[in-house]
Amino acid sequence: MFEIGKLIAFIAARLLLVAAVGVLLGLVLGQVVIGILVAMAVALAWQWIELFRLAFWLRNRRTANPPETFGLWSEVGAAIVRLHRRKRFHKARMLAVLRELRESTSALPDGVVVLNSAREILWFNEPANSLLGLRRGRDQGIRIDNLLRQPEIQEFLVRATGDRSLIVRMERDREHWLLLRLVPFGEGRQLLLARDVTETQQLATVRRDFVANASHELRTPLTVIAGYLETLDTDPDVPVALRGPLSEMRRQSDRMRALLDDLLSLAKLDASEAEIQGAPVDVPELLQQLQRDAKQLATRPATIELSVDSAQGILGDRAMLHSAFWNLIENAAKYTPGDGAVQLRWWTDADGGHFSVTDNGPGIAPEHIPRLTERFYRVDASRNRETGGTGLGLAIVKHALHKHDARLDIRSDPGQGSCFTCHFPVTRLSGAHGN
Amino acid sequence: MDTANLGQHISRRFNEDLEHLRSQVLSMGGFVEQQLSQAVTALVEGDSALGESVARNDFQVNAMEVAIDEECQRILATRAPAAGDLRVVLAVIKSITDLERVGDECEKIGYIGSRLAAQERPADKYRELKHLGRVVQDLLHAALDSYARLDAEAAVRIAQQDRAVDEEYEAIQRQCITFMMEDPRTIRRALDTLLIARALERIGDHAKNLCEYVIYMVHGKDVRHTRLEDIESELLGKSAR
Repeated sequence: MFEIGKLIAFIAARLLLVAAVGVLLGLVLGQVVIGILVAMAVALAWQWIELFRLAFWLRNRRTANPPETFGLWSEVGAAIVRLHRRKRFHKARMLAVLRELRESTSALPDGVVVLNSAREILWFNEPANSLLGLRRGRDQGIRIDNLLRQPEIQEFLVRATGDRSLIVRMERDREHWLLLRLVPFGEGRQLLLARDVTETQQLATVRRDFVANASHELRTPLTVIAGYLETLDTDPDVPVALRGPLSEMRRQSDRMRALLDDLLSLAKLDASEAEIQGAPVDVPELLQQLQRDAKQLATRPATIELSVDSAQGILGDRAMLHSAFWNLIENAAKYTPGDGAVQLRWWTDADGGHFSVTDNGPGIAPEHIPRLTERFYRVDASRNRETGGTGLGLAIVKHALHKHDARLDIRSDPGQGSCFTCHFPVTRLSGAHGN
Repeated sequence: MDTANLGQHISRRFNEDLEHLRSQVLSMGGFVEQQLSQAVTALVEGDSALGESVARNDFQVNAMEVAIDEECQRILATRAPAAGDLRVVLAVIKSITDLERVGDECEKIGYIGSRLAAQERPADKYRELKHLGRVVQDLLHAALDSYARLDAEAAVRIAQQDRAVDEEYEAIQRQCITFMMEDPRTIRRALDTLLIARALERIGDHAKNLCEYVIYMVHGKDVRHTRLEDIESELLGKSAR
């Protein structure tokens, strides 16, 4: 803020100057009042002229410098020029930064599309042109889901909330796979990222096919070997010395077959891309059957209890659920000592359906838990061989549950026992079954 | 010519309604495109399950047509649109009929494809049909793109490509006739091939119709049954001015 005193002094000095000139003029003319009035009028007109020149310059701006003015007006003109220069400098810098930003996003190998809250395209970079088939200079302001019309992608674009991604096979060019990701930012805006993942998808397919084919091809000779071993094992003419090795060979060939079966079922789970819709599965009935089967196992704890607290079932694939649940139950039975107990429980609540298998066996050390569902992961190599597991059981459980939008929760205290729980979302629950 | 021109409306809601209508048509178009792609894949790869699923899913196309038709009626009754807006609604009503027919042709291809999958596949693995299918898919995709962009110039260009489809169809027809004359045992398969080629050719015609509706929406000109050269000279002359 300027000081009032200075302003008053400034005005007083100017007024005195004009008045003095007026008085002098008045003395010459003989009329002091008229002299002062004329002097005032001239001073005012002069100010107006200066103001007009400055305004004219500001409006048209033909020259860089303001017109030659006197007094305060020249100061105002200089200040305007200074302001203008500073603004131009900042603008140039901003433009340079912006250009650099655009160039660097264009250089990204991934397609980037900026969308507003109505999913209209605001901006996109060069790779988005080729990956998504957008056209520069034409597609701004068009809704993205009008151009990416493949039903899968549309549903992803419309339904996506938060940070989500989708791997999709392009319908027009079935060789191509895209990874799409939607990232929200700013006020309702979204960033759509697209990446060509054809190569990784192809590698995954090759690997999957190899595992499936190899397992399948290995099974045929194994069946023949197992058949002969069985005949020999029961043949009374075989010398006693060979009995032991023969039965061991038979056990190992059985194990190998179990391994191949597990590999095949994993490959099958991998191969089906989509989530399964499925029909209602009567979970209580399935669990009763599994409990009966578990009681037939050769090595099992004394008690296997089942408590069914809900009559509801699950929408899904019965065979997949059977193999998932069976793997969990078999594991628990295998690792729990003969005097232990295994509890099976099925219940539903506001979060969905839950199936848990609790045992009071030796438990699992916490460092192993995150890696349990990896293929061939062994907590203890020697024990695994002793119990005859394939190392694939929990991987199958995880995949089968994933297909049902469910997840596996593992809790364990060494020495206390373990608890494996499957959580199914509410949307997967089906109504109570007939009984 | 862009979406902003579709209406400077006092009523924002009306604008949104029209945009939503166009989006619905394009969603339907996307689904039909998928049906076409899957039908051709089912045929070429001999995947009878895929062919059957295409034939089974046609009801969804019909359901979409009915839903959009009702929406159009609602807009006509409640908003009484005029000029460009009226053209949009009218074009939508016509487009969904064409899209629904494309869906029917896809159903046909899927059905025949799943039947052919059970038989021994010919030595050329339906190479010609695969190629024609590719051309028609591109045509339909480009037509729907011009629909989304309201790009009349592209629409004119795409409509011209329909001729390539017709020529392809003629070639397949001649080939089938030759096969049938050489060896009467191939008649049944040749007839099926012809039916599919015919269906694909019809889809090309429907794609061309979609392009004509785009021109109608943008320029207000009914260019049906007009020679393409005339359309081009008129529209491009207009835009050059």
